Amino acid sequence: MQDEERTKKFNDLSVKYSQFYKGKIMVLPKVPINTLSDFSYWYTPGVAEVSRRIAADSDLSFDLTGRWNSIAILTDGTRVLGIGNVGPEAAMPVMEGKSMIFNYLGGVNAVPIPIRTKTKEEFITVAKALEPSFGGYNLEDIESPKCFYILRELQKELTIPAWHDDQLGTACIILAGIINSLRLSGKKIEDAQVVFIGSGAANIAASNLLISAGFKPGNLILVDSKGILEPEREDIDSLMINNPWKYELALNTNRDRKKGGIPEALSGSDIVVSAAKSDSNTIKPQWIKKMNNYPVIFALANPVPEIWPHVAKEGGAKIVATGRGDFPNQINNSLVFPGVFRGVLDARAKGVNFSIMVKASYEIADFVSELDDDNIVPKMTDTDLYPQVASAVAKATEDEGLARRTGSKKMFYDIAKDIIEENRKIFRKLMDEKLIRNLPGEQQ
Amino acid sequence: MKDDKKMKIEVRDARSEDLKPFLGLIERMKRLNGEFDPLYTIDEEKRSDAEKFYGNCIVDTQNYIVIVAEFNKSIVGVLKAEIRKRIYYNPDKEARIIDLYIMPEYRRKKVGAALLDYFYLKLNKLGISIVTAEFPALNLIALNFYRKIGYRNIGSIFGTTIDAKRVK
Repeated sequence: MQDEERTKKFNDLSVKYSQFYKGKIMVLPKVPINTLSDFSYWYTPGVAEVSRRIAADSDLSFDLTGRWNSIAILTDGTRVLGIGNVGPEAAMPVMEGKSMIFNYLGGVNAVPIPIRTKTKEEFITVAKALEPSFGGYNLEDIESPKCFYILRELQKELTIPAWHDDQLGTACIILAGIINSLRLSGKKIEDAQVVFIGSGAANIAASNLLISAGFKPGNLILVDSKGILEPEREDIDSLMINNPWKYELALNTNRDRKKGGIPEALSGSDIVVSAAKSDSNTIKPQWIKKMNNYPVIFALANPVPEIWPHVAKEGGAKIVATGRGDFPNQINNSLVFPGVFRGVLDARAKGVNFSIMVKASYEIADFVSELDDDNIVPKMTDTDLYPQVASAVAKATEDEGLARRTGSKKMFYDIAKDIIEENRKIFRKLMDEKLIRNLPGEQQ
Repeated sequence: MKDDKKMKIEVRDARSEDLKPFLGLIERMKRLNGEFDPLYTIDEEKRSDAEKFYGNCIVDTQNYIVIVAEFNKSIVGVLKAEIRKRIYYNPDKEARIIDLYIMPEYRRKKVGAALLDYFYLKLNKLGISIVTAEFPALNLIALNFYRKIGYRNIGSIFGTTIDAKRVK
């Protein structure tokens, strides 16, 4: 089936199933209710004592309520998938989907909360007001550069982890893929020349994460629609005002002060990470020939990568990764966020930072047991990945002094595995009992 | 990226042969002003006027002070001030900084301070003790910079555009 035909089929099914199920998640009690008199301890009068205890020590909300396993998926709907600023109502189906993945892969109760806010300050006010209900925030589909500002402020001001998956999740899996690419090419982190095509949320975060992981800032080059980022570019002052994150990278990367566009950037580079326009002509095979030996291409645009994998290979690429599941090496942040949130929740974390993310990336990279050019990252079906990542993240959180709960990596692994498996069992039972209805058209 | 330790910035009076690179920095600064307020949008057709004006500023040392910061034979910072008469007031002269721009890569490396030190020294020799700075009201970066180095707001300029409806 051709790409367009396949996309149309999925679109049609998505609408049909949404009409049938009317939402993808629900809230169910998880305590036994045998008679209505049980409400006397689950609710009033008994519950007042639980409230009194939490009032005396608010951290007890992580032990005496479901806060320990609850996160909010917050969005203003300004940059939803590839469809743009569709508003909070239209963002809901996507956030519900994300919530479902959080639950299925990570055992996390993720509450989708699209909000109607006009400014970044308003968004931050709402997020801060909701903090007592949650153990973490996953920010989603917020336009750039607003997303950088919101994330920075929330990370500074909250005592729970704030994560923007479009930035941090993608950056983590890019780093994991690059770590394994370097293992295969035999090159060193401190020597690797990395080019980022596209300077949006994902690539800016990935650049900063790579720097945290030991890559030399001068060895990185970012390219955007106006060409290679460098301090003498004419729009540099505009960037200082409108996108200080990109401005900082313009000053600190590109040691050789290359100018020009994608071909000039690729010449003499080792790795290309493209998160740009979905157009298979963005990277040309003749440019790959000018890269150093063992060229690595991450063409991450969806649905059409910036170069088709077979064309990249013809151009000399050794490793090609895309965002798609129908080619080898799918760079997908679903390999990251369920485990990361399982980990920060299990450690009752107060925050998350780049050091923790670097450890998560190494855990993901190390998970690949049979490393080769077509297997640089795990697959979503590798169910043990999630508790593994969770345990590494929880332990790293403890190392960073951000954990409310501490323990061994093994302890965190066991906790994560139990939670995820228990959750799956409940879900499987609901399906087996047909309490979750079969898809329309399938036998009930 | 330049190495801070090895960076040797030379500050000096601008010379006529500096005009071309000098104007490159001035144009960047004027474009930056346009980011804050559309009334400061630059007109690239007016480059030759600018060249004439700034060329004159460099040689007219009675009315202008034009200074450059140089690194490795490249101009990386500029300061241009006008010497103004203060009718009725005492002291009767002030120097007003109209243009101050430093290339992004050289910011936070005390190039601005070096330009100002040299500028103040010149003012001292000229017996001028009042220095003012003019910049777009919405340029918070300039506002914070001047506040940080001890300047205070001593006046305001308000502006508007006159549209056709208001001209009767």
